[in-house]
Amino acid sequence: MDIRELKKLENKRKMNKGYMWALFCAILWGIWYIPGTIIWAVPPFDSMWVAIDATHGGSMATIAVALLISGFNALTVIAALLVWNGVLGKFGEMKRTLKEFHPCSKWFFLASIFGGPIAILGSFIAIGFIGAGFAAVAALLYPVIGSVLARQWYGENISKRAWMGILVIIVGGLTIFVGGAITEITSGSINYIGYIGGLMAALGWGIEGAIAGKGLDIAEPDVGITIRFLGEASIYWIILIPIFALIGYPMFEYALAAFNPLSLIVLGFAGITFGYCYVSWYKSFPLIGVGRGQGIGNLYGLCAVIFMYLFMAQVPAWTVLVGGALCVLGSFVMISEETGDAESLRGE
Amino acid sequence: MAGLRPIKFRLLELFTDEKEHWNNEIVTQIQKEYNMNSNFGRDSINFDILELASGGMLKSVESKVDEDGVYKKGFLLHKYVITDFGKVRSSDACLEYV
Repeated sequence: MDIRELKKLENKRKMNKGYMWALFCAILWGIWYIPGTIIWAVPPFDSMWVAIDATHGGSMATIAVALLISGFNALTVIAALLVWNGVLGKFGEMKRTLKEFHPCSKWFFLASIFGGPIAILGSFIAIGFIGAGFAAVAALLYPVIGSVLARQWYGENISKRAWMGILVIIVGGLTIFVGGAITEITSGSINYIGYIGGLMAALGWGIEGAIAGKGLDIAEPDVGITIRFLGEASIYWIILIPIFALIGYPMFEYALAAFNPLSLIVLGFAGITFGYCYVSWYKSFPLIGVGRGQGIGNLYGLCAVIFMYLFMAQVPAWTVLVGGALCVLGSFVMISEETGDAESLRGE
Repeated sequence: MAGLRPIKFRLLELFTDEKEHWNNEIVTQIQKEYNMNSNFGRDSINFDILELASGGMLKSVESKVDEDGVYKKGFLLHKYVITDFGKVRSSDACLEYV
């Protein structure tokens, strides 16, 4: 085999590795919706909802519980990521990267704003108001946002075929949102906050990916993702949860009550699945680009619907199924393009 | 600053002389600076170089098969040079252009 062939093979191997990481991400992300759903029915979160519902109404109860669950989700993700980095011996690199705030880690903190209180909180709000199946599929629009921003901000290559995939995903997303909303309007009620939650998830994850892609230029993914979750946990526990507590929600009382075995097991399961799904997501970006990484990662929607059906017997509405199928088809269109001999993901 | 900055920063810094460098030579130097002498450390550093190339900051200008096992026998070695984009990223390490 000559050098050119070997180089081509090496490039292909690198791309395959990137796709493999993105696929791990999709599977783990899909599984995450199981603990993400169960946690709502686990003490103290179930009684927290009932207590806040009695004083502030159901909508605020769902938002406050979603916030506390998101806060704990971020903590267990950090625990899982610290184990991961410990095994890889990357604590030194983490310290070095954290110190480089201006050129580097600020991007992960910025990513944590979009990925955390916008995307993950939005996703939990969508789960709380409408259901996990909807929440999972609603966020399927995120690669469109991520790809467009990655192109605009730092010239990541997006081929005609990728644009075609993006178009199919948009049609799928519209089917999910508009189709579901019409069904609800005709039945007389609409959980509009749930739809806003879904939109927050799609926007948040898309913007996060594009911003994180910037930081990942010069940081290792295992380290970058841990810094990003340190940022997210800080936003919840230093800013948002204390604000909710100050305006009269019993956040800290229920936070303390969350230290019970059942709750910790479910939260731990959420932390492991979400933490490692995120590691895989970030590891795929430098290898295959934000657009493709998000395109393949998007298969989480399909995985989530399958896992929710298998483990929770949740059958999604037909609009969710059709829209989800279109989003998955769009993802395949996006990633099935020929990458050729391109060594770089950028348009040089 | 050797050993004090994130590894990808240091890698870019080593390439700012705008000369061509073989990946195995750079890997050996970083292994010494960061005390990462295991095979895992070696492969991890090489992967960082691959990511920098994939991100368009380095480009391969020459390749050869590692016949002598200087890095790994039968492995493809690359001679990299920094790109204009890589120079921007290393000079301010900095992302101001977003």
